[in-house]
Amino acid sequence: MSPIRKNEISWMACAGRMLLAGMLAVCPMANASAAGPQSVPDVTSMSLEDLMNMQVTSVSKRSQKVADAAAAVFVITQEDIRRSGATSIPDALRMVPGLEVAQIDQNKWAIGSRGFNGRFDNKLLVLIDGRSVYTPLFSGVYWNVQDVVLEDVDRIEVIRGPGATLWGANAVDGVINIITKSAKATQGGLVSAGAGSQEATAETVRYGSKVKDNTYYRVYGKYYDWYPSIDTNGTTASDGWHALRGGFRLDSNATTRDSITVQGDIYHDNFGETLTVPSLTSPTLWSTYPNNGYESGGDLLGRWNHSFSRSSTSLQMYYDRTNISDPTVFGDHESVYDIDFQHDIHLGESQELVWGLGYRSIQDSNGSSFTVALQPAHSSLNQYSAFVQDEVNLLDNRMHVTVGSKFEHNPFTGFEFEPNVRVLGTLTNKQSVWAAVSRAVRTPALTEEGLQLNVGIVPPGTAPFNSPLPLVESIFGSPQFGSEDLLAYEVGYRVQATNSFSLDVAAFYNNYTNLRSAEPGAPILVGSPVPSYVVLPFVASNKMSGGTYGIEPFAEWKILPRWKLMGSYSFLRMNIHKNADSLDPTPDLPNGASPRHQYYFRSSLDLPKHFEQDLMLRYVDKLPGLNIPSYYSLDLHVGWKPISQIQLSFGAQNLLNSQHLEFIPEFINTLPTQVRRTYFGSIAWTF
Amino acid sequence: MDFLAGSQVISRDTDFVPRDKTIMRVLRPIIAIGICLSLALGASAQALDSSDSSEYLIKAGFIYNFAKLVGWPQAAFAQPDSPIVIGILGTDPFGGIIDRILADKQIDARHFVIKRLKWGMDLKGCDILFIGSSEAAHLEEVLHALKGQPILTIGETPGFARRGCIINLIVEDNKVRFEVNLDAAKQADLNISSRLLALARIIPQAAADAR
Repeated sequence: MSPIRKNEISWMACAGRMLLAGMLAVCPMANASAAGPQSVPDVTSMSLEDLMNMQVTSVSKRSQKVADAAAAVFVITQEDIRRSGATSIPDALRMVPGLEVAQIDQNKWAIGSRGFNGRFDNKLLVLIDGRSVYTPLFSGVYWNVQDVVLEDVDRIEVIRGPGATLWGANAVDGVINIITKSAKATQGGLVSAGAGSQEATAETVRYGSKVKDNTYYRVYGKYYDWYPSIDTNGTTASDGWHALRGGFRLDSNATTRDSITVQGDIYHDNFGETLTVPSLTSPTLWSTYPNNGYESGGDLLGRWNHSFSRSSTSLQMYYDRTNISDPTVFGDHESVYDIDFQHDIHLGESQELVWGLGYRSIQDSNGSSFTVALQPAHSSLNQYSAFVQDEVNLLDNRMHVTVGSKFEHNPFTGFEFEPNVRVLGTLTNKQSVWAAVSRAVRTPALTEEGLQLNVGIVPPGTAPFNSPLPLVESIFGSPQFGSEDLLAYEVGYRVQATNSFSLDVAAFYNNYTNLRSAEPGAPILVGSPVPSYVVLPFVASNKMSGGTYGIEPFAEWKILPRWKLMGSYSFLRMNIHKNADSLDPTPDLPNGASPRHQYYFRSSLDLPKHFEQDLMLRYVDKLPGLNIPSYYSLDLHVGWKPISQIQLSFGAQNLLNSQHLEFIPEFINTLPTQVRRTYFGSIAWTF
Repeated sequence: MDFLAGSQVISRDTDFVPRDKTIMRVLRPIIAIGICLSLALGASAQALDSSDSSEYLIKAGFIYNFAKLVGWPQAAFAQPDSPIVIGILGTDPFGGIIDRILADKQIDARHFVIKRLKWGMDLKGCDILFIGSSEAAHLEEVLHALKGQPILTIGETPGFARRGCIINLIVEDNKVRFEVNLDAAKQADLNISSRLLALARIIPQAAADAR
């Protein structure tokens, strides 16, 4: 065993970018001063018409550029969240084109971007207010512990495709930025309570106030409780769960050039599931039982932004603690310390240089069982990163070229670099095209280095082995496991065809190499002095590769000022295969676990008397690899604001069928349960 | 149960030595140099600053035009040459631009006076009040305090016009557009020229209880 296993898992880091984008949006720092005598047009001699034709080359509105980004960006606004009736982040993410959201049971989700979906999807980076919530354990996200007060969300920005140059390793197929409002924007009280057919109860309390001029805070608490769902036989399952969380955020504009944010959260949840695992002590050699565990943790983040007149800096630090534990299978405690620095410099009117540094330290300790063991039991990992990116505006601002790269070091695979080139061309006022080529890597997770997971068992005497002892099939991590690589080619087109109709299309071709496969190893006799069983190892290796391609149009049509229609279609084709030298016998390919076709239509209608009504029809194609049939879901939401302080909300989901299965989890054999027709009503009082 | 035995058997890479210390030794000076460099660049960028067609230069031009195209009631100015007082409430996004642009300008016989204001100060001496986005949380209170005063309120934050600000500047496709709330203008007893209205997006006042 290696002495100290300082790996550092991949992903992330460098949340700095997002905070810059986020913070600049939230607190517009004074900027753009000093009009030198030479080049300044005399705006007072210009008519309004002339002024309206002038291009803004602002330095202070970086966040607005998201709409003009040379990337496939989709933004979920606060209004979208409210009007969708979503009560959780995964629910809200269902409206993002190109994203796959599948519920496994009441407390587990599989969320992926552009393929490779799974409970342990490792190619999507998720940030909450600049804090990466990617777990180093499997390079994925515990979706049930990631939560915020949905009313306090400013927006969720989703970038499909690689974001590695800015966000680092593991921002391979997408980045989700959940950005909450500043404390200043959430002043006063909010009390909301809801109940429904699946989410039994949900309560939120938030209060925001002012400490002194320019310094604001809010505190919140949130509780919810979900009934268990039903399995495919219609029997009530054991997947109920409940969670309690609380937190605060403090924002201070200490000076017009400095802003400081401090925020933190703490949470605890209890979840249930039905687990099936190999067991040598059971007569059938399998054991199926309800397993109840808990997750708890917290985080504390501080960020300081300073703006000079033509540049700005951002320094962010955070600590994040996650505990996950259940009585029979696995327990893990991880602490993440992260520090990021970013500097944006405007060089002249047509060039913007951004560079940054990041450091991340992870301490992990875990407790093992027969089913899951992770070596070493304690590890400490360190990761360092730097990035630089330059954006140049050419041809009278009609063309933006962005070139940059991330450089990072992790203890598993050493140095990694993730460059990209992006070009955005403005064809007319209302049309733009973009193209990008980027490289991203997915660095190994702790489990891929030191895991032993017993996934199957073969009774003695079974052909073809006819072994006298039980055979335990195990997935092993390996120190030789390296990074997965992606070279991505993307193009996009945006048009504001009329004042009321816009279209955004993104298409991609992704070429993956060194994807994870499971190669058989030599059988191991276990037990002393007399062996009691044989382990058949399947060892993590990098022997899969292939391509994926797809197209994701999204259109919005404001038929009337009070009526908006939106539509989205996502096409995905995956052609991932094992390499010629792979001996991986499992039929397990990611191709069949993501839907080839997905589409939705959404209607948002403002009615008289402060009613609003939304309807969404969603189609998700079958998952042939998992034997999951396609399904339609019709979701309805009605909101009513009888007086300014009261918001009433009623949502119904899955109106077309009474229940359907959305996913089968990989690796850990928990019982998938059905997504049922649900009703949820709530009342919110603001004061 | 000795179930961990299996994983011990797999041979592990033992020449895996900690490299963190060396890396830190190399990185520390780089970080230090980086931070120094950034401060230096920041300072020099500040010195070089001469934003030409920046957003706020254009917005200052809009404000000047609004001043020309809006009619105040007679009582709003004591003298024919009383200055037009522009208040900038909250975080000031203009820097010195607006002062420079308007320094020697006048409309009829009126010069401009620019004041920086904070919420809580008396706002009633203004003829034009630019409300920064920093005031979004208590916009209603600000507007309430100005009720009935002939003050042209100008915002630059989505939703401000709907919430009762008379004019709201918005940036779309890198160009500045503006919304006008006619009800609010009427309440302030301001007369907005049709030339201005022809270019504006007219925004209805949200009913008082809609927020």
